[in-house]
Amino acid sequence: MMLAPNPETGLRAEALSVGYGDRAVLERVALHLPRGGITALVGPNGSGKSTLLKALARIMAPSGGTVLLEGQAIARLPSAEVARRLAVLPQAPVAPAGMTVAELVEQGRYPHAGPLRMLRRQDHDAIRDALAATGMTGFAGRALDELSGGERQRAWIALTLAQDTPWLLLDEPTTFLDIGHQLEVLELVARLNRERGITVLMVLHDLAQAARFADRLVVLHGGRLHSEGPPGTVLTPAMLAEVFRIEARIIPDAETGRPHMLPIRHLPDGAPAC
Amino acid sequence: MTGRAPWPMLAGLLLLTAVAHLTTGPVAIPLAELPDHVIVHAVRLPRLIVVLLAGAMLGLAGALLQTVTRNPLAEPGLMGVSAGAVLAIVLAIIAASRIEGLGMVRDTGWHLGLAGVAGGMLAGALTYALSRRHGVSRPVLLVLMGVLVAGSASAVTSMLLLTADDNQLRLVLHWTIGSTNGRGWVHVEMLAPYAAAGLSMGLLSAGIANALQLGDGVAACLGLRVEPARLMLIFAAAVLTAGAVSVVGGIGFVGLIGPHLARMLVGNDARRLFPAAALVAALLLTLADLGARSLPLGWIEAWSRSPVTAPSGIPVGVVTPLLGVPFFLWLVFAHRPRA
Repeated sequence: MMLAPNPETGLRAEALSVGYGDRAVLERVALHLPRGGITALVGPNGSGKSTLLKALARIMAPSGGTVLLEGQAIARLPSAEVARRLAVLPQAPVAPAGMTVAELVEQGRYPHAGPLRMLRRQDHDAIRDALAATGMTGFAGRALDELSGGERQRAWIALTLAQDTPWLLLDEPTTFLDIGHQLEVLELVARLNRERGITVLMVLHDLAQAARFADRLVVLHGGRLHSEGPPGTVLTPAMLAEVFRIEARIIPDAETGRPHMLPIRHLPDGAPAC
Repeated sequence: MTGRAPWPMLAGLLLLTAVAHLTTGPVAIPLAELPDHVIVHAVRLPRLIVVLLAGAMLGLAGALLQTVTRNPLAEPGLMGVSAGAVLAIVLAIIAASRIEGLGMVRDTGWHLGLAGVAGGMLAGALTYALSRRHGVSRPVLLVLMGVLVAGSASAVTSMLLLTADDNQLRLVLHWTIGSTNGRGWVHVEMLAPYAAAGLSMGLLSAGIANALQLGDGVAACLGLRVEPARLMLIFAAAVLTAGAVSVVGGIGFVGLIGPHLARMLVGNDARRLFPAAALVAALLLTLADLGARSLPLGWIEAWSRSPVTAPSGIPVGVVTPLLGVPFFLWLVFAHRPRA
């Protein structure tokens, strides 16, 4: 374990292992996320994507290794301090029945609030700002259970924005949304990254969307880091065959210049990878 | 539905009901004579204070548990605290009468109150311990284990009652039904410490409750230490419930309906919901107590062909379901969630 102060500003995992009971989910993952871009965490079901996100966010304690947030061991930082630097949206969160958008977004100020949790001027400013940035100002008084899936997800993202953190970690933010609402959410995330300089790490299932919206892909396979880098170098037929067991064609998107994937068929187990 | 300023209305209604509670009864007391009437000072005022405090305690306990379990059906008895308190009180009444020379224990006894609080807290602790896995309690398990603990305690209570004599049974009914009859200053003193501790702890934890009601995952992401927070809210609810039940018995429905009505008035924000739930439940219990004292006993006597033995009226625990069931039906059918 490294104890020397580290001048870096990124989020770093060093030999990170996580397990449930005696079942290892992540084994000695080393990863460095610099400040700035959008990183997509991809991998097949059960590859440890969500677990890695939770361990990086300090929601799950690792069984080995360290997570360093801007050079500091995250395990030794107070919970509220972590929540002031790093916002996390878990997968498919559920709000209590009847809760309004404003009531939800207000909770983003929890780590900033004083002991009595009364809202101050800067809290109200942050809440108003978060609602505006997600286009939810007009929905503030509406109950979450009356909204469409896309609107609801925007409200939850507004909650993380109200936390006012430089880091935003999203666990499958497009789950249960139709394709239009998926793109709406991903475009919002891209805009927050571009306009506010928020560094984003998100778990995504859809590889085409990951390649389209992320600057970097991190591929997990069986609890280990398989590969990482720009979509152009990571999204290859070889990786898709080995990790996802599919045969696919990669073609460059004429408009975005990013790689586009055309899945062709599932490869039966035991078939040679490439 | 979320009203902006229900506080003046709540305060006004509470004041009106309190005055009605003090002026009506077997002897009607004119408003002008209220401040220095002997019946008010000796009988009605302490009873009113007991009713207000117990109502507020049950209402806040219900709101706390509905928030912690994220279950709208949660009520103060959820963790088995009420059943545990009643069991301990029944045990104390029956055991005390078996000991030579102690004779019949009066229901004003301090030790019955202490036994009730101890039994309630013990049952609550058992429920909490049973719902922990790997150092984390799960709200679903809290509900399930609470049902088991409450069921077991009630079964033991029923077995004990089979061995009780008539006098003991009559006394025990005060707690199993829930009653404010004959509650005086000694009961105000018994209630006060639990009310002070539980109400302040519960109301001050509203900010934490707000984060916790978004679910464990989101709450942890907001920087909340989830398990200590949940334990604190549960502890406050247990103190409130055990304290109230020890003095007035297991009065049902006010701790379930109070929080629901409060939520319709002020919304989900615990900083408004918690005080509103306490006020609404206090108002409901005062209304129910008023009703209990005013209900004519004649028809019960005619039906049972024996005089009703409670000179000060029907136990309020009989009235709260009469008030609560129609309200709940209305709540369910008038506020169906949109498809």
